[in-house]
Amino acid sequence: METEPKVIETSEDEAAIAALAPAREERLLLLLSIFIGVISGLLVVSFRMAIAWLSVLLLGSSPGPRQPRLIIVPAVVGLAVALLTRYVFPQVRGSGVNQTKAALYISNGYISIRTMIGKFLLASLAIGGGHSLGPEDPSLQIGAGVASLISRKVGLSRERLRIFAPVGAAAGLAAAFNAPISAILFVIEEVIGQWSAGVLGSVVLSAVSAVVVARWFWGSEPMFRIPAMSLRDPRELLAYAVLGLVGGVASLVFAKSLGWLRPRLRNLPGWSQLLQPALAGLLVGGIGYFGLPQVMGAGYEAIDQAMHGQFVLHILLLLAVFKIVATTLSFSSGTPGGMFAPTLFIGAMLGAAVGSFEKHYFPHLTGSTGSYALVGMGVLFAAFLRVPLTSVFMVLEVSGNYSVILPVILANTIAYLISRALQPVPIFELFTHQDGLYLPSMEEQREERPELHFEDALGVERTEIRVPVLKGSQTVWEARQSVTEAAAKQEFEAVLIQCKDGGWYAASRPELEVIFASLGTDPNEAEAKQAIEERLGKDRTPVMFPDQTLSSALPYFRRWPLLPISNRAMRGALEGVLSQADVLRRYQR
Amino acid sequence: MTDGIAISSKRRLMLHDGVTFLILTLATVVLFVLTLLLFRSFTEHRAELATRWAGRGRVALTHGRPQDAVEALRTALTYSPGERSYELMLAEALEGSGHTEEATSYFLNLWEAQPGDGVINLELARLAKKKRDRNEAVRYFQAAVDGSWEGDGVEHRRDARLELANYLIEQKDFATAQTELLIAGSNAPPDAALEVMFGDALARAEDNANALIYYQKAIKLAPRNALAYEKAGRLAYRMGDYARARGWLERAVRESAGGLASGGGTAGEDDLTLLRNSERLLVLSPSVARTEQDRITRELDDRSIAQRRFAGCMAQVSKAAADLTAGAQGAPSGAAAGLLAMQGLNARWAAAKGLSTRQTLSADDANEDTLVALIDDTEKTTAAVCGAPSGDDALLLLLAENRQ
Repeated sequence: METEPKVIETSEDEAAIAALAPAREERLLLLLSIFIGVISGLLVVSFRMAIAWLSVLLLGSSPGPRQPRLIIVPAVVGLAVALLTRYVFPQVRGSGVNQTKAALYISNGYISIRTMIGKFLLASLAIGGGHSLGPEDPSLQIGAGVASLISRKVGLSRERLRIFAPVGAAAGLAAAFNAPISAILFVIEEVIGQWSAGVLGSVVLSAVSAVVVARWFWGSEPMFRIPAMSLRDPRELLAYAVLGLVGGVASLVFAKSLGWLRPRLRNLPGWSQLLQPALAGLLVGGIGYFGLPQVMGAGYEAIDQAMHGQFVLHILLLLAVFKIVATTLSFSSGTPGGMFAPTLFIGAMLGAAVGSFEKHYFPHLTGSTGSYALVGMGVLFAAFLRVPLTSVFMVLEVSGNYSVILPVILANTIAYLISRALQPVPIFELFTHQDGLYLPSMEEQREERPELHFEDALGVERTEIRVPVLKGSQTVWEARQSVTEAAAKQEFEAVLIQCKDGGWYAASRPELEVIFASLGTDPNEAEAKQAIEERLGKDRTPVMFPDQTLSSALPYFRRWPLLPISNRAMRGALEGVLSQADVLRRYQR
Repeated sequence: MTDGIAISSKRRLMLHDGVTFLILTLATVVLFVLTLLLFRSFTEHRAELATRWAGRGRVALTHGRPQDAVEALRTALTYSPGERSYELMLAEALEGSGHTEEATSYFLNLWEAQPGDGVINLELARLAKKKRDRNEAVRYFQAAVDGSWEGDGVEHRRDARLELANYLIEQKDFATAQTELLIAGSNAPPDAALEVMFGDALARAEDNANALIYYQKAIKLAPRNALAYEKAGRLAYRMGDYARARGWLERAVRESAGGLASGGGTAGEDDLTLLRNSERLLVLSPSVARTEQDRITRELDDRSIAQRRFAGCMAQVSKAAADLTAGAQGAPSGAAAGLLAMQGLNARWAAAKGLSTRQTLSADDANEDTLVALIDDTEKTTAAVCGAPSGDDALLLLLAENRQ
């Protein structure tokens, strides 16, 4: 975890600058988001180029089985990466998602430039050298690093620094995926965990800017060439449901493998950790050498081939199984690189396998192997990374085809539910726990019991109002009589007054006593005939409704003794009245 | 904090922000230019790799090493994904290397992206043909005919239709094949070689009449085309139109100037034999006689030939039967049937003794018919019992079969 450098502000001048900061930062926020998006986009484009170049350079332009370099290169690269990680870039281990979250929640969004450079270099070396990892998660961290660097250099406040990490993360991921909506949703679902208008605008702007840059270079085609697809026979949904089931189980196996191996390797002596990436490289290279070079690297070409029906059923299954093995080895060894691409790879292979099976045994169904591979990608994404919303939009974005929505929703939901039921702790959270950190779990936050609302405090007899209710047009004399009569019947601390403008005024007993104290004995004197609302303050109690959160009432009790809860359908009609004591009682229940 | 400090702080901030954005803009521009230069080099390198591997694939495909071509083209496609020419070559290589299912799957995926593409549909049709899936093959052939083609679409469509027609002929669906050929032929430009080709195809589709029309068209377009004359002559001969066969075959021999255009000495000799046969058939055939007298003369000549053939065969059959009886074995059923058939013919020849004069034949048309039927049956029966005839008997047998 990175430590944020200390900021020292002492002078009067700096105090003046700090006073101007909120308005200034508000103005800078959106403009900086565009710069973050553009620069992240450029870096991610370079990152992908670096991976592709290194791959050709290290593994050759046509890596195939029985080529000795397939074993040698990943091992040597693993050793180099381990040395550089140990002595030069100690913060670059892992995928980048958790590191970005840690930066956000622990060090106010601080990601050092050294980490950013290290992530770029080592992840591209590892992936280009054949380790079974992906470039998306590192891209996310590179984007967050860019945002952190820029916001620090501009001299933004600590609060803003925290906001910018997810902004950059969205930009990095959007450029890597060429899919802005998925990137935005992922950052909201997994990194910041909430929709906030202030952050959302910046996240959207940076993601869009990054994608514009990425498309300027790579073209506007989606990340994968998607074959034409349509769902003509509803019975085919059964096959997609089976895919959801298979994906759920596969994600469980994948998560359990990582959850088992990673801590064991991390607990081994320090010297052995220097050798772990090399050993992982040797084993992954061995898989490639003995027949499955497709599992090496990110594996986009193999995903494309699976999507276009170029593998037979048993090869698809072998690729899925060995990709799980290879990624578990590469990732657990601490080699920097992401898990998005391997997840998509495994999903695509399983999807294509289910599609091939269906085509062989149920040829009357119309779904192409490609459509199953595509849905499979979404399924693993939903189940393994536990981002159901992102997974649906990712499939829609990379396919550009809305007709696939039903299979995607069905399969993703089944896989997600299986994964949740059998692996309660999401994979990113598991890693943070293994690393000794306790970052907020976005999934848990989504699943937490909802907040209490006014209606929960009002109870079943919400229509019974236990305080006197007066008309604002009543004279002060009449009001005093009403209050006196009511006081004789029951205890109350305040009175509700309905004003002519439709608003309510909750007047406390002392406030009324002051007004009534000025009255004499003659009901015809001017003060006695004055309307009561003319003697009250000009402000009105806030309009609250039963579905609003109970916590939102607390600040108002400083000013108002009671809060009338209005009906949303009938202006002026009351659902009930709440005092501070009522609210606290409900919380204590 | 005084107003003065606030204003100066504000100014300082504005200056700071201005400089910051200037630096950010410059940094972005520099980074952009760098990335652009790297990207250009990167794409050029990948394009070069794609071309290199595609070239290797092409060479491997040409030299009959489809498995090597598959590997090379797959690599080429990783550097240039979606390049149609590579994809088509890869699919062909897959097909060539015996991966019929994989090739079909590959072409189907290409087809899903471009269902109206002529090349893809044609390849799928060929694969379906290989897999003996007639319905699929015809469907894809039709789609290829109606599909879009790069370059000369008319020619590609015609070739696809011809391939479909040939497939239908193989499947013995002659009626549909004839329709396809006639459509293709009617859309073809006037070209003697093409007309000959359509003639051949129609002849194979058992539409001899139309085939002859196409050969004639070829002759009209190229009056010195020996091949067209030869084909027309042979077909006319097969159809029993010996007069035209003789004419075209004569012309074929003449135009080929010392050898028949069909190439090869054997074929030339065949044509000369056909020519001679045609000439002799024109002498023997009663149907081409110009007058009644001429016809009766021919019938009487044919009678003599057939009678000699009958006598020879009868003697052969009788001797064989006698040999079998002498060997104290029962005559085999085939020999017995032959003997029986010959005895039947013998009885008919005995009854037809009166039909040997010009007067008898000219007295009643029925007598002519009886004689011709006897000649035909004699040639057919003796061919069945004593083996294939030669010389004039062979020609009389041909006439008998044509009449049948």
